[in-house]
Amino acid sequence: MRLAYYPGCVSKSSGREMDISTKAVCSALGITLEELEDWNCCGATHVSNELTAVGLAVRNISQTDLPIMTSCSICYSNLRSALQRMDDPNIKSRVNDILGKEHEGAKIRHALDVILEVLQKKNSDFLVVSLKDLKVAPYYGCLMTRPKGVDSPEFPTIMEKLIKILNATPMEFRLKTFCCGGPIFMPQQEVAEDLAFMILSEAKNTEAEIIVTLCPLCHFMLDAKQKTLEIKRGDNIGLPVLYITQLVGIALGLGPMELGLELNSVSPFDIVERIYERHTKG
Amino acid sequence: METDKKFKQEIVQQTGTEVLTCIQCGTCSASCPTSHLMKPSIRRLIKLVLEGKKEEALDSCTIWLCTSCRLCNVRCPRGIRPKALVDALKNLCEREGRETGKDQAYEEIFLRFIKDYGRVSELPLSGEYIFIHPEAAVGAMRVGLELIQKGKLTLMRDKIKRTEEVKKIITELEKA
Repeated sequence: MRLAYYPGCVSKSSGREMDISTKAVCSALGITLEELEDWNCCGATHVSNELTAVGLAVRNISQTDLPIMTSCSICYSNLRSALQRMDDPNIKSRVNDILGKEHEGAKIRHALDVILEVLQKKNSDFLVVSLKDLKVAPYYGCLMTRPKGVDSPEFPTIMEKLIKILNATPMEFRLKTFCCGGPIFMPQQEVAEDLAFMILSEAKNTEAEIIVTLCPLCHFMLDAKQKTLEIKRGDNIGLPVLYITQLVGIALGLGPMELGLELNSVSPFDIVERIYERHTKG
Repeated sequence: METDKKFKQEIVQQTGTEVLTCIQCGTCSASCPTSHLMKPSIRRLIKLVLEGKKEEALDSCTIWLCTSCRLCNVRCPRGIRPKALVDALKNLCEREGRETGKDQAYEEIFLRFIKDYGRVSELPLSGEYIFIHPEAAVGAMRVGLELIQKGKLTLMRDKIKRTEEVKKIITELEKA
């Protein structure tokens, strides 16, 4: 499988382990990624002019004829939204005029759905470490399934499917599509932290051993900020937060360094050891 | 309060004409993760727009508490996109050069980074914001230092080759 790869700005900084693990997993699964040429920021949730947001997304989309894959739910949602808005002939003509070219309407994919497709076809070839008995809280956040068109926008199950293929156990997680507050964490810190802390507490209540995320901003709120939140709220969470690509990578037998596990804020190494122990015991 | 037809027309045009069919059911407010802090609620904000009450709509804290989760868009029984209405109002604040405070400052710096570099680099972006709003430093410090130690945040500004293309998209498409 050959795909265009849209890493997104965060892949160069706070989301580096997302980028590292995405590349490692795709390579192990025989997926060839070609990084989009001269890609630009999708605008995240901070471009208030919708036409501009569509223009920024379509500049990226028009760079390739291949399906475009990203590991970031925000980029994914923005590229998908832009294509939906381009169905409006007025928007389409204005954007194409400015870009000076017609976009070919590439298919947009999230790493989650690409990996699931490959593993559903031939999982036994690839999975070398069983994640048996690992209790996982699947956290989708908002933008993986919004706008509508991918799974259910409120009660998705696509991540649970993948977790089960890896032989792990997805926990019933009530707040799996509740917002982490990430987009407003800088100017509205307290508000955002309240939301993130609710999600962490609920994940803890499910008795999960780890949380899995699909978005670098969700990951930042739940992983990088976890320690601060524990201190502020006087509560112990202690839940490692892995990107879905990191979890899949462990099952594929990739090493911790190949998956950037040392870059996570809440260390996942105890869990990784536990996974290996359970695997060896069968 | 004076009715501003031009204001209503402009916001409706950017939100989509479905907004004219709003039945004020409140599903949007009930779905919003920050609605308990909003004043007015998102439902009432839509009403203010439809009544052409420009000043009341633009002066509210509501638009700056939107986390862009899009749940209101997903659930609206009329197919309205309340999130698009929030964006249209934010955009109007920007274009009119209103001083609305820290939230808008962050959006402005973000857009300027895209315009100048084509991409956003987290540390320089947060740095610029904290320079203007130092109170944000307290919360950002602990996490920031850890990520710097891990080598995840650096002062490097990532830049694309053809920044002029991105600049053109922003300046041309911003024109109403």
